Amino acid sequence: MATATRPAPAATTTPPRSVVTRAAAAVAGLAVAVVLVVAPLVSSPYINFQLASIMVFAVALLGLNVIMGYTGQVSLGQSAFLGLGAYITAYGVLNDWPIALSLLLSAVVPAAVGMLVALAAARLRGLALAMITLALPIIGVPLARRFDGFTGGSQGQVVSWLRAPESLGLANDQWRYYVVAVIALVAFLLVRNLVRGRIGRSFAIVKENEAVALSMGVSPYRTKVLAFTIASALGGLSGFMYLAVVQYTSPETLVFATSINLVAAMVIGGSASIVGTALGALYYVLVPVLAGQVNSSRTALISGAVLLAVLFVLPAGLVSLPRRLARRRSARRGTRTAPHDTADDAATPTSTDGSAPAVPAPAATTTDQHP
Amino acid sequence: MSYFVQVVVDGLSNGAIYAALALAIVLVHRATGLVNFAQGGMAVAATFVAFALTRAGVPVLLALLAAVVFGFVLGALLERGVMRHFERGDPDTAVVATIALLVLLTGASAFFFGYEPQPFPSLFPNRTFEVLGVFVSFRSIGTILVLIAVMVGLQLLFRSTKLGLAMRAVADNPESSALSALPVSRLLMIGWGLAAGLGAVAGVLVAPQLFISPGMLDFVLVYALAAAILGGLDSPVGAVVAAAFIGVAENLAGAYLDVVGDDLKIAVPFVAVMVILVVRPQGLFGRKTTVRV
Repeated sequence: MATATRPAPAATTTPPRSVVTRAAAAVAGLAVAVVLVVAPLVSSPYINFQLASIMVFAVALLGLNVIMGYTGQVSLGQSAFLGLGAYITAYGVLNDWPIALSLLLSAVVPAAVGMLVALAAARLRGLALAMITLALPIIGVPLARRFDGFTGGSQGQVVSWLRAPESLGLANDQWRYYVVAVIALVAFLLVRNLVRGRIGRSFAIVKENEAVALSMGVSPYRTKVLAFTIASALGGLSGFMYLAVVQYTSPETLVFATSINLVAAMVIGGSASIVGTALGALYYVLVPVLAGQVNSSRTALISGAVLLAVLFVLPAGLVSLPRRLARRRSARRGTRTAPHDTADDAATPTSTDGSAPAVPAPAATTTDQHP
Repeated sequence: MSYFVQVVVDGLSNGAIYAALALAIVLVHRATGLVNFAQGGMAVAATFVAFALTRAGVPVLLALLAAVVFGFVLGALLERGVMRHFERGDPDTAVVATIALLVLLTGASAFFFGYEPQPFPSLFPNRTFEVLGVFVSFRSIGTILVLIAVMVGLQLLFRSTKLGLAMRAVADNPESSALSALPVSRLLMIGWGLAAGLGAVAGVLVAPQLFISPGMLDFVLVYALAAAILGGLDSPVGAVVAAAFIGVAENLAGAYLDVVGDDLKIAVPFVAVMVILVVRPQGLFGRKTTVRV
């Protein structure tokens, strides 16, 4: 977010929206929901795998968005929590824990680790915090190799679990898709409510200005610890989902590169936005797959070019696309017929041409209204 | 005892590589307030230029100079063509733009040279010599000497030339510099160019050891980042001291602590960095900044 151009924290300045937009959003949401329910029944296992992967990384990104997008604290360690969650789940599967226990611990243990780190690190700012979080995957990978009794060492852990119940008549990939979809849905609903409530407002004010937060009786330290703990819990939860979908985890799961790519995906989707989180996950999973299909030996080249192109065109993320299009349209109409329509554009005249500097409209103010 | 000295010298030579890249990160951060993840990608691209030249029969030293020049031009072009677009926008977006450049440059290097690691000729003879009963390699000493030369050169540039003074002014306060008729945007370009040239030095020095491949510097970049942040991000001296500390601590822990061993030695400097930062958030050599509300 370009905080300088933002008038006030996201949660407090929601402009009124017309009935038409509301209805359009509801219809779009419904359509997406129907597609998500029906898709696995008619798709190949490969497609279902990709769809389920999107759910997995959507939850990891959701956690990252809580700490980075909403609270403004850089985290380069989200992959470590994803890996920890996956390892805990794998350990649970291999030791015949009930699935509910695995699910619980895969969120609670990373949350506890994240809280411990945050208790020490939350008084740091900016890059010092980035450094601490960066160290988590860097230390985590050799640790995972070393403690092979728990992790299976460099080989990793192959598990076979979460088979579809006979009575449902679903294939394994379909059943796993529905399981992760339900978890993702619950996580998204909880976070959506969280960021729109009192806690979300405290996140926003801490991001905006810690001194002001303090003067309002919001402790920046406690808020950051809370945000980081939630982010870690969601990271661990995504690890549970990862193991459900992939059925395998290794030290590769928590490498630093994953954290970096998650940060990129968050910004690409649109930070501090629920819809942006989903779009970011879509980007995270699909772009490498599509780039690989275009030319498997040029994946990095294509991914990098696409990433840069999106940043050039939509610095505020994919989620700002509809508003950008609308503004462009109204600007065009404005120059032809109705000058009174362009009052909004006059304030940011640069936004109408493609080479405008990054002056994103406040992405969070309207977009997190979607269901 | 002689083993100890050897371990420390090797650690210092690793530290010298981290320091070169860390200095590059500090250079860009001072000028633009950005952490540049593309530093590793630019360095690898420049190193590949040196690689192509040495394969064509050019001596390594000449290839190194060519790589530095290429790196300078590449850095300056990327600043002008890409990063300027993000300069006044959201810093998160700008940092992600450098990540995009990293991915893109890695992909470009792979496009021309493939992902397979390939041997790279060393600038220094692959021999050791004996000083007071201690064997040290020419490579380690050479790497350390080159870095010291680079540091002295940078120091001279910044302290005793008009260009250096102007660059410091721009880093300190771009608006006032512009009002004093300094060509701010050109100076930013030069800053990026210098940083990329420095990265090229690091790449050429480390390539014989790691073998050259597009992902060669990924790990070095992480170390350099740690050194830059530990050193306080704005302090070149701090970055070098922190890099040396990281290199030596890692090597000593790997050599002497059985629990740590070769696989976990990377964790030691990072745990140390975590502890130091929690105690001293501004880094070892950083200044405390206070922000007025």
